[in-house]
Amino acid sequence: MDDTPDRRERLLNLLAALLETKRGLTRDEIVTNVSLGYPPVPESARKAFERDKASLRAMEVPVREDVQGNESRYRVDPKEYYLPDLDLSDGELEALHVAVTAIGLGTGSGEGAGALMKLGGLEGTGGMPVAELPLVDSLAPLFDASRHRAVVEFQYRGRGRRVEPWGLTSKFGRWYVVGRDLGAGEMRVFRADRIGDDLVATEPGAFTVPVDFRADAYLADQPWEYGSGRAVPVRIRIDAGHEADLASQVGPDAPIERADDGSVIVQLSVVNYHGLRSFVLGYLDHAEVLSPPEARTAVTDWLQAIAGAES
Amino acid sequence: MVPWLASHSGSTKTEIAARFGITLEQLERDLGLIMMVGVPPYSPGDYINIDYEGDFVDVWFAPYFTRPLRLTAAEGLALLAAGRALLAVPGSDENGPLATALDKLEAALGVSEVVVDFAAPEHLRDVQRAAADGERIEIDYWSAGRDALTTRRIDPGPPFFALGEWYTDAHDHHSGESRMFRVDRIRAVRATAERFEPAPAGAPGAVYNPRPDDRRVTLDLPASASWIAESFPAESVEERPDGGQRVTLAVSENAWLERLLLRAGPEARVVAPDESVEIGPAAARRLLARYRSA
Repeated sequence: MDDTPDRRERLLNLLAALLETKRGLTRDEIVTNVSLGYPPVPESARKAFERDKASLRAMEVPVREDVQGNESRYRVDPKEYYLPDLDLSDGELEALHVAVTAIGLGTGSGEGAGALMKLGGLEGTGGMPVAELPLVDSLAPLFDASRHRAVVEFQYRGRGRRVEPWGLTSKFGRWYVVGRDLGAGEMRVFRADRIGDDLVATEPGAFTVPVDFRADAYLADQPWEYGSGRAVPVRIRIDAGHEADLASQVGPDAPIERADDGSVIVQLSVVNYHGLRSFVLGYLDHAEVLSPPEARTAVTDWLQAIAGAES
Repeated sequence: MVPWLASHSGSTKTEIAARFGITLEQLERDLGLIMMVGVPPYSPGDYINIDYEGDFVDVWFAPYFTRPLRLTAAEGLALLAAGRALLAVPGSDENGPLATALDKLEAALGVSEVVVDFAAPEHLRDVQRAAADGERIEIDYWSAGRDALTTRRIDPGPPFFALGEWYTDAHDHHSGESRMFRVDRIRAVRATAERFEPAPAGAPGAVYNPRPDDRRVTLDLPASASWIAESFPAESVEERPDGGQRVTLAVSENAWLERLLLRAGPEARVVAPDESVEIGPAAARRLLARYRSA
């Protein structure tokens, strides 16, 4: 973009004029207004205006175009352009500054600081790094679609989806979008890092989100709880000395008992055997699925296939 | 900057530049630019007035320039995500100024709460406290790579979260070196009554430090094992025509590679080096032996 002082000055003037007008301005009204600084040759002025309009929109300035008959009127609605007064105290600004410095968001970190500039600058000294939670590219458009209640369309695992994005959530370091999948007719969870740049948002105001909605309620805590099938009780033995931190891994509700030899037997409610397998194999030969036989077979068949023909 | 200036008329240029992270030169350029903006048919002076008195800046703006600008989607998301994430760190004040700021922000942006959930390993709080207070601790630590439990004394740094796990960058008295420990692999924490000087605030070291002499292992993985390249910093990832990937990883310990291969399944195989090709099948046979003897 041509970013010389003249151009920036013209953009600011144009923005101010678009904010000021109630009924909208036509392109001719804009380019012939000498105080805005457009070139005198009509064709160049028109091109310059089109470029300016595109630049403002690229900066996410909501330039509205109302087509009346064969002419368009342009304006920026102050309600859409200004942030409602947040009335943040210095303490709140300072806390937000600590947050954007303590949490690494990858490329998103600069955006957080930019947001604070708009809200009143960097209060305090910030904080030391506490967590890395990089934002992936699909999140900003998903966030925007979610706040405007716009249905999004994207490819996911080789299929086209139409989804009402109800909310975003991050669990254990990954970002997810939770919403109603219009094709499947039910709530679904999508990993944001698997949504590409083909994402398109459609008309705003297309759905409502219940006030008590919480995105994390749709994420299972454990890999073996994913899916919609019936949960089966599965018993696993873990050798003595390898069971530490088990309770925090399987959740507080899983019954754990200790056998005479010091090993531990835990019972899990398993919906899918893939998740179970992954959990048990993490213990290598220090754990074993005891029952039911189908769960045992799910593990031994898998191991057999890896071991190959000779065993 | 404009809304803040409008409500802090009489600030010095130095204060303003520091607050907005710009140089004095940039500030003067921006103030000059602001002066040139007006709305036809009025002159700029009807809207903005800036007086300098030495270093002091007196500013008057017409009301419509003094309100904060709408945040872009990326800015709103970044602020909320960072705020919610910090609030989710165990030990944060759930009713403090951060929480109230985020409530205001969510209401203004019209979004439902962005929920962030970190894993909370059993001994996270113990390590946080020891790091903050400078208390040397003795830990039982399970090394996943070697599949072995050791006991050692450490001076822990403040825990931090990366790649989905909590880590502490600690001075390890067992090896006499600085080591990165995963907090969820700490099986027990005991007080030692010894103290250390807590490290000054600073950026934590890299979580993943492949040593130059670590073995490089190249794997062919099916599409179903794409989580491997997403979860571990691979040295190279090549997409294959069948939807799978060829991935090269630095591997220091066999047990780690065994676990990876058993989870990835029968369609995953080691391509190089030759001596690692049998690691997966051999591990599978070892586990099967346990199931057969039961």
